[in-house]
Amino acid sequence: MLPAGRVEGTLLCHVGPHRIAFEAGEVASIAAPDAGAVSAHRAFQDSGGFQRVLVTAAGETVGVDGLEIDSEVLSVLPPSPVVAGASGGSLRGFVITRGVLWPLLRLDGFQRYLRGLDGEGA
Amino acid sequence: MAALESETRQSYLVFACGSSWYAVPAEAAAEVVTFPELTRVPGSPPHLLGVFAHRGEVIPVVDMSLLVGGVTAGSRRAVLVRLSRGTLALTASSVAGVSALMGALEPLGPSGVHVHLRGPVKSGSRDVAVIDPEGLFDHLSQGG
Repeated sequence: MLPAGRVEGTLLCHVGPHRIAFEAGEVASIAAPDAGAVSAHRAFQDSGGFQRVLVTAAGETVGVDGLEIDSEVLSVLPPSPVVAGASGGSLRGFVITRGVLWPLLRLDGFQRYLRGLDGEGA
Repeated sequence: MAALESETRQSYLVFACGSSWYAVPAEAAAEVVTFPELTRVPGSPPHLLGVFAHRGEVIPVVDMSLLVGGVTAGSRRAVLVRLSRGTLALTASSVAGVSALMGALEPLGPSGVHVHLRGPVKSGSRDVAVIDPEGLFDHLSQGG
């Protein structure tokens, strides 16, 4: 088992010009776009669609524009308290790969956060 | 009005963000940096421009102008404010330097971020809002 501050196997996702990442083990499957998925664009205050869908073990879905798989062991840098509450508390920290920072999120918590935004917008 | 004429005992780093001037206690102002391309944090408010990695720490960048309801200063420079709980980067369109300030340190408003801005204070002829770094950090950490 890896220490809490590391992840092995990461899904690096693109959302418009933005980046987010999830631990690969949290993603049960990757699917084609489906009308029931909630778009990660909502977390960046835009209304873009999505090309790929990440499916949680519970069957919930989050849409992103594109993704890459990183198999390296990555250190997780802790979030500042100033940003720790963003995305409904689903932010685990940050990883550095491909020469840039990626916010590392808990997929189920992020999905719930996005659903909550949908409720606010309804 | 004696308080208005008093000189603060601390030294402050005075900087501009947009058309407004701010000051932070000099002992908390670690350095002035030019930050790289930022990483946006999903779900963060507009005044939190993003984060960057600096010396092993992921530092949030805050645009004070946006935070107080103005328009973005659009600067790539920031004052790093180092606290025991972490570091904040406050965007700075210009940095005037370290000086003592003349004036009082009363909250500039009854609520919101203005509780953590103190004054009225002058640095030379400039009106300056003194930032209470600990209070601002708490305010931002609570989603303010």
